[in-house]
Amino acid sequence: MPAFKKLILVIVFLFPFLTYSDENLEQSKYFVEDLGKQVVETVSNVNLSEKERNINFRNLYLSSFDNYYISRFVLGRYWKRLDSKLRKKFIASFDNYIVATYAPKFKGWEGTFKAVDSLIENNYFNVKMNVLNKDGPTLKLMWKIYLDKNKNFKILDVNIDGVSMLVTQRAEFMSVIKNNPNGVIGLIEAMDRKTSG
Amino acid sequence: MVNSIVKYNKILFILILPLFIVLSASYSKAAEDVNDPFERVNRGIFKFNNHLDDYFFKPVAKGWREIPDIPRKPLSNLANTAKAPISLANAILQLNKESIGNIIGRFLINMTFGLGGMFDIAGTDSFGNVPEVEEDFGQTLAVWGVPDGPYVMLPIFGPSSVRDAVGLGVDTITNPLSFGYRMNGIGIEARLSGPVVRGVAKREKYLDYLDEMKEGSLDFYATMRSLYRQKRRKDISGELESKDLTLSLLPVDVYEDEEFKAEVKNIVTSMEMSEKKPSNTRYYNGVLPSSNYPGFNESRVNLIE
Repeated sequence: MPAFKKLILVIVFLFPFLTYSDENLEQSKYFVEDLGKQVVETVSNVNLSEKERNINFRNLYLSSFDNYYISRFVLGRYWKRLDSKLRKKFIASFDNYIVATYAPKFKGWEGTFKAVDSLIENNYFNVKMNVLNKDGPTLKLMWKIYLDKNKNFKILDVNIDGVSMLVTQRAEFMSVIKNNPNGVIGLIEAMDRKTSG
Repeated sequence: MVNSIVKYNKILFILILPLFIVLSASYSKAAEDVNDPFERVNRGIFKFNNHLDDYFFKPVAKGWREIPDIPRKPLSNLANTAKAPISLANAILQLNKESIGNIIGRFLINMTFGLGGMFDIAGTDSFGNVPEVEEDFGQTLAVWGVPDGPYVMLPIFGPSSVRDAVGLGVDTITNPLSFGYRMNGIGIEARLSGPVVRGVAKREKYLDYLDEMKEGSLDFYATMRSLYRQKRRKDISGELESKDLTLSLLPVDVYEDEEFKAEVKNIVTSMEMSEKKPSNTRYYNGVLPSSNYPGFNESRVNLIE
């Protein structure tokens, strides 16, 4: 077979995969930009009550982030030592802690998420973006996301100029567990105190 | 002159030799997560630093923020330009061609068109946004293969490692500007102006972020330790996260218990989701939301690093 025909065959064979991949890259950028838009629409509104803001933030968090993966990662080696009941308790407390920590920070926030690039690396999409704050400096972020089996994007980590939020959270939790006589239960109690306080 | 160089070489030797001994001894511990054998002492110093920050550095940084752009920015730019010689010396020691080019480029452009370093012209679009590069002796030691060693909290200076603390000392002693100052009889007050302005400007940059982080943190000390380690790792090797903590260790498609995952979702969502409004599924129609943004000031990119 002439080389030219081989080339045509290869291109015809690869074309659907190439376009599929390109579309996913664009969609991954859309996903994070749209997340920013939803934050402005549903969380940052100053007229919302604290409860409404928390509920809306929780909805966004649970639909956009892989809370199971994140919970497992931040608990590190302790995850395997927990029984199913305690794991569920940890995930519930951790989700509450995330909501209580981050939802109030978006009150009145005005800005836009602008995706700069998206790259595939080991089945993850690394989406580079700038967060353009209306009244402050621009932040450079990188989102680590993947497509789950239902073809929904899920966020695993946010990286701010080389600092991984997941790695930082894990380091903090490891320290709390190490320094608390009740270990993981102590961590859960500390998170609950922070959430209720 | 020759005598002073010999004297400084001796000081350098005295500083670096124990570093190698300490780091070699602690190398086996370096593989541990935090490598913080002096944690108790470090936490004490961290507490002291936080008090100092609350009552001195933070108010000064807030005051600095209130100063109009001129003279605040020119002063800050001058202080940064003054750091170029030591950064260049370290870039040369590391044989880092890219950094050498950027440091010399920035220095020449800002010293000429930037009126002696008062204006950061090199960082503008017209001059190709030459990136600001800082190289220190801690990084140089890292490039030479010296491990970072135990984490240490320095009074006033904050998070560091044994290697980086020695690097800081070497940078201070060998800064070419220090020689110039001494030869011209310039006192310590004038010599401190550069580091003080840089420190205040840096603190001002992180005012809001540090406050928010402190407020939400369960163990602020551990958070700062992790941030420092990650940031240094990125500055030195460009790697974003520790290899030990790579996400690849947890393949996302191999959850050991799908039923459990579904059950967790139900528990969590039932807590506050009773009021959940049905969310409209959002589809990508080929247009990114940012395509019609009014466009905030993108020239501010890079301000937070």
